[in-house]
Amino acid sequence: MSDDVQQTIFGIIAKESGLDPAKITMDSTLKDLEIPSLDAIQIIFEIEDHYKIQMPDRDPNFDTESVRGLVETVRKLVAEKDAAPPPATPPTV
Amino acid sequence: MNRRVVITGMGAICALGHDARQVWAGMRDGRSAIGPLIGFDGQDMRVRVAAQVRDYDPIEYFDEKKLLLLDRVSQFALIAAREAVAQSGLDFDSGDLRQRTACVIGTGAGGEQTNDEASRRLYKEDNPRLHPLSIVRRMMNAPASQVSIEFGVTGPTFAVSSACASANHAFAQAFALVRSGAVDAALAGGTEACITLGVLRAWEAMRVLADDTCRPFCKQRRGLVLGEGAGMFVLEDFDHARARGAEILAEFAGAGMSADAVDIVMPSDLGAARAIRSALDDAQLNTSEIDYINAHGTGTPANDPTETRAIRKVFDEHADSLAVSSTKSVHGHALGAAGALELIAVLGALREGVLPPTANFVDPDPQCDLDYVPNVARERDVRAVLSNAFAFGGLNAVVALRRAA
Repeated sequence: MSDDVQQTIFGIIAKESGLDPAKITMDSTLKDLEIPSLDAIQIIFEIEDHYKIQMPDRDPNFDTESVRGLVETVRKLVAEKDAAPPPATPPTV
Repeated sequence: MNRRVVITGMGAICALGHDARQVWAGMRDGRSAIGPLIGFDGQDMRVRVAAQVRDYDPIEYFDEKKLLLLDRVSQFALIAAREAVAQSGLDFDSGDLRQRTACVIGTGAGGEQTNDEASRRLYKEDNPRLHPLSIVRRMMNAPASQVSIEFGVTGPTFAVSSACASANHAFAQAFALVRSGAVDAALAGGTEACITLGVLRAWEAMRVLADDTCRPFCKQRRGLVLGEGAGMFVLEDFDHARARGAEILAEFAGAGMSADAVDIVMPSDLGAARAIRSALDDAQLNTSEIDYINAHGTGTPANDPTETRAIRKVFDEHADSLAVSSTKSVHGHALGAAGALELIAVLGALREGVLPPTANFVDPDPQCDLDYVPNVARERDVRAVLSNAFAFGGLNAVVALRRAA
């Protein structure tokens, strides 16, 4: 399944790592793509900032090392966020 | 002229306690002072734990007028420096000692509490007026300047900043000044007060923080835990110390420094090994004379195996008879103060013949195959030691100490 989430994540990976988007597949891991750790944390940051979500950190229930894992994690977190009720009281500034 | 340099005073404050005696007792007992993060209610922090200085009321140490000038980072430096100077018994009114005393203090982050307050006013409260003392509180040299003012010492005084190696780089500079004869004494150490919202958020984004505790060198390690505090020491010319009958805590034997020049975050075993080797050479110590290394041992996936390889490279077969431990397991990673707190650990080991353990140790990691003194302190005759510090940016500083003769 190719959708917005997948395309957005491919785009973020390509932009942060400087890789040709054609080289990125759902079956790649960040390691296969030879993405250094500093680029990897920037990819995670850009994803979090784009979707306003918090990606899990070394949580055994989530795979954030592979492209497929990143896409699935984002889909799940975005769905959870959309399902969550709005805060009872608006935050005060 | 190469003079012998000794340590005649020490002081410390960190999560383990508010003086050097308490700090050493916590290290020796392997009593972790890492606990739930406090002071950030309502912020939904990803950071769960830290080694914060607790039960601390600055008004017990400083009057209100003085406090206006002091970021928390300078408060810690002053508290530790007062203890170190008192222990040394140095009398700055004697002869020309004021001019012949240096003050070199490392800090990685500087006045972050002041920065945080300024950011809150500017961006949250939309208030363009910052406190008029913001600059003098947060400048990187504020701790060094405040300590020089406190004691009226007028020799070479400056800050050293190299992230997590700042304190060890500061010791190296102070040591060189005393050894060369440029000064007779130096107040040297490191200080950090980095547990602020801005710094915590930045560390969260790097994804190197543990969410449980700090477990250096073991298989279950999940990253570093931030700490804070200061350690300050009096380095003194041996003849000067002996002439006034001072108690000598240890000999400061040498220092070695290097840059990896490879990567801004990933450590290099080659760079670390070069700094270790150069500290031994500088101290004229053989590898076989070193009984204990206080490791950088952050508990991150990258540091611990790299540091292990570096030690093996330099020590060869003697690596298996060395004891290596990381006291960050009990006082966290105090960044620019790390090497200063860890100097308390090596002084304790040299003076009492007790190795402080690596606390929170569960199972060994095949990539980390040295003797890390897991969980329980051990008695050992300790003749000479190293203390490692390896910073982000690939900056390494290692210091070598010998037991007082």
